[in-house]
Amino acid sequence: MKPKLPQPPRWAEHLLEWFCAPHLLEEIQGDLYERFQRQVKLFGARSARKQYAWAVLSFIRPFALKRKPNPHSSTSSFHPAMLRNHFTIAWRNLARNKVSALINLTGLTLGISACLVIGVITGFELSYDTFHPDSERIYRLVGTVKFNKAAEQQAIGFAPRAVPQALRNETSGFEVVATFHNMESGVVVPKGQAEPLVFKARNMEGDPAQIILADPQYFDIFQYQWLAGNPQTALNAPHQVVLSEKKARIYFGNLPLASILGKELIYRDSIRTTVTGIVADWKHNSDFTFTDFISSATIPASFLKREINLDEWTDIWSASQTFVKLNKGSNEAKAQTELTAFGKKHFGPNRGTGEFLFAPGLQPLSDLHFNPVYMDNYTRKAHLPTLYGLIGIAVFILLIAAINFINLSTAQSLRRSREVGVRKVLGSKRSNLIWQFMSETLILTFLAMLMALLLAKPILHTFRSFIPTGVQFSFFNPNILLFLLGIALITVFLAGFYPSWVLSAFRPAIALKGTGSSRGQQRGYLRKGLIIFQFTVSLVFIIATLIVGRQLSFIRNKDLGFSTDVVVTINTPRDNKSAVLAQKLRQISGIEQVSMQWSAPLSDWYMLTKITFQDEKPIDIEASTKVGDEHYLPLYQLNLLAGRNIMPSDTLKEFVVNETFVKNLGFKKPAEILGKLANLNGRNYPIVGVVQDFHENSLHAMIKPTIIAYIPDMAKDLAVKLPTKGKNLTDLGPMLADLQKNWREVYPNEAFNYTFLDDSIEKLYAKEQKTAQLVNTASAIAILISCLGLLGLATFTAEQRTKEIGVRKVMGASIASIVALLSTDFICLIVIAIVISSPIAWWGMNQWLNGFAYHVAIEWWVFALAGVIAIGIAMLTVSFQSIKAALRNPTESLKSE
Amino acid sequence: MKRTYLGEFEELVLLTVAVLEGEAYGVVLLHELIAQTGRSLRLNQVHSALQRLEDKGMLSSEMGEPTAERGGRRKRLFKVTAFGLRTLEEIQQIRSSLWNRFSNPKTDPSL
Repeated sequence: MKPKLPQPPRWAEHLLEWFCAPHLLEEIQGDLYERFQRQVKLFGARSARKQYAWAVLSFIRPFALKRKPNPHSSTSSFHPAMLRNHFTIAWRNLARNKVSALINLTGLTLGISACLVIGVITGFELSYDTFHPDSERIYRLVGTVKFNKAAEQQAIGFAPRAVPQALRNETSGFEVVATFHNMESGVVVPKGQAEPLVFKARNMEGDPAQIILADPQYFDIFQYQWLAGNPQTALNAPHQVVLSEKKARIYFGNLPLASILGKELIYRDSIRTTVTGIVADWKHNSDFTFTDFISSATIPASFLKREINLDEWTDIWSASQTFVKLNKGSNEAKAQTELTAFGKKHFGPNRGTGEFLFAPGLQPLSDLHFNPVYMDNYTRKAHLPTLYGLIGIAVFILLIAAINFINLSTAQSLRRSREVGVRKVLGSKRSNLIWQFMSETLILTFLAMLMALLLAKPILHTFRSFIPTGVQFSFFNPNILLFLLGIALITVFLAGFYPSWVLSAFRPAIALKGTGSSRGQQRGYLRKGLIIFQFTVSLVFIIATLIVGRQLSFIRNKDLGFSTDVVVTINTPRDNKSAVLAQKLRQISGIEQVSMQWSAPLSDWYMLTKITFQDEKPIDIEASTKVGDEHYLPLYQLNLLAGRNIMPSDTLKEFVVNETFVKNLGFKKPAEILGKLANLNGRNYPIVGVVQDFHENSLHAMIKPTIIAYIPDMAKDLAVKLPTKGKNLTDLGPMLADLQKNWREVYPNEAFNYTFLDDSIEKLYAKEQKTAQLVNTASAIAILISCLGLLGLATFTAEQRTKEIGVRKVMGASIASIVALLSTDFICLIVIAIVISSPIAWWGMNQWLNGFAYHVAIEWWVFALAGVIAIGIAMLTVSFQSIKAALRNPTESLKSE
Repeated sequence: MKRTYLGEFEELVLLTVAVLEGEAYGVVLLHELIAQTGRSLRLNQVHSALQRLEDKGMLSSEMGEPTAERGGRRKRLFKVTAFGLRTLEEIQQIRSSLWNRFSNPKTDPSL
């Protein structure tokens, strides 16, 4: 046997085979080999290998890479004739398979519409405050605060009012420090001798914040275009006001801007200000919706100094906001170091601020619209998890629609194998065929895209309660069109690529013989996998729908521990006249109870107070505090477990506490705590009663130790218990009119605002209700699209197996057994989907439910029910087709061959 | 265009193919060129020049028989076409006419 000759390195050979043009390969390989063997003799194998590899690399040149043109070239896919042909064939094909075309079109339209609408919403939310110059250097001064030793540390979006000025004096890291104070006020526009124009204060629920008391530096951080007035001096002196152009038009009509300067505006009835500047409104989305900028120098010069104490170190107010702009070249960490030192210097047990601790921090401007931790009075927060959830839903719906397309077109591919065969014989290359089939997808997707454009407005309208105000949709917005185009292209690729790949892979000889593709088995698995995926997604949505629904009904029906039946709460201007109003209301016949209070047992207002329980050793306890008079307990039907109600009194004299308060202090029986003393703000008060626990916060939070006390200065709002059961507005109309009449007598100039307690409690769960609406819609769409796909496949399978069914029937198969035969496959897939989706849904819903301190358990039957629903819907879809197939007369299906 | 121009290396390759009389293929040409000119050459340069000359129609080629020393691969044997030969002759003529006019092949002492 001949000794084995040394061989050139294999990788180099492979590389050469890969890049070298086929018509040159053989001679180059031969030459290289010949030379290699010669080199082996001359220099040895090692060196020869190296030389060989080097020589191969040096062949990476254009002449060796360039392929020889095919002498039998096929027409380019982009030749007009080919394009026309593709279009015609695509159209005929869609027209021939009307059912699957319709299914695909519906699915894709829904998917693209969902993406479009959700894209518009997401784009809107993400665009907030992104336009400010130097925005990466703008931060809000935030921090954490601890009111006393016992209090919890809280994150807050504002600083004590003395901090900004001190920062200007003591730190060097900030280019600008600017403060503004939100103010709510009506506005009076004097008109000389004529009747003045009066504008009411904004409605806190709906309208954006408008009036601020701003430092001149505000305009150094946020850039406006000045239309009139001098930016240098406009806000320097007291009683000056700068208006936005739109607001100026509202106040003064169409006067020339320059002549609006110097006009007078009156805020809060007595703050007389002069217009010193007019700025253009921003055209972009912003949380800074302010339109009236009153000079902050007005504060010390007016009665506002009693309300806004600019030298205050030991309290914080959400209305007073501070923004800073870092020095050029500085960064957040550097500024934070300086702020931490500043905080250490001013806040601490021995720094004269007592137990009040404030640790300043910075919040980037880009975080302002999204971070729910830092509350304030003007920003509208976008809930990021909801946004991500929305995006996820859009993506999954589009995927489900794309899967329908893939399944239906691969299932039908056999029908087209002859077409592919003929095209290939006539010179089509694989790439041409891929293009042809992609263009069919493109046509369908394009139609879906047009439908989505038409549907977007109605959809936005239907879901307007869910959509933030200000979302604009226009057909001609280039961003939207570009986004839509991007989605369409992704869809074309997702949906079209695999089917065209499969279709174009047919071998002409086999395809033309009519035996179909040799890879049928593999494709079946993929199709099954995709159906499983579709139903997994649908099932996750179904399970989420069920659990969210259950939790919501749990919230609605949970015994809160107090009565909300026909209780109306009335917010007063918080002065002494509210007692007069209460007295008047008590005299209306039919009104059962009127309580002076600070807030209802459960509302979005919430107060935590430090109480020191006077045992042998004093115990500090942080208690939720409800303020109400002696009518509070009976009105809300709070259940006394021991002791008695608060006695009528003019001052704070005694406490009623809840069960948790008692338990937290280690007492076994409620009665044991009666008569013990608790200290509030340095004075001791006896505990005279214990009430059963009631939810003093939304079900997201555990019930806290709670005290109920009558603090006359705070108990200024009213709760009124109306006589009727239920709250049909027509029945209550006269009653409410009575309330209003009495209100007018006491407060002739204030608007009468009332809320039903159960409405305001319902509002606490607005977010959850939106979530419910969202998952309901999502699961409806997901099921619809999935079932459409299933319908298409079932139709197709039934058609394919016509002969088989005919033969079976001739041999004596029953209709039931044939229906079972056709349905079992699909049912199996859905059972697998149930198995996969259950843990996913369980995990997701567990996360969601953990946001509630009180929630329903996730029970096994929810998954079973979801499975039954899915199987039921799928059975309905499939059996329609399979029964039709099973009922067909076998003579018909077998007669033609 | 009246005539295709040849680069210096192309001319050398063309001439060598002519000299080897039908036995010319990649490796042989490479060795012959190295032997004659003493330059360090690489195979890809020879192949690339051959490719260009064939494109210009000065060479024609056909595949030979597979041989063991080439790992069972065929060689591509090159021949000079009539057009290639005429081009070589034209170049030769131009050169010699220039050399004839160059009467004093010495360096100009004034330079």
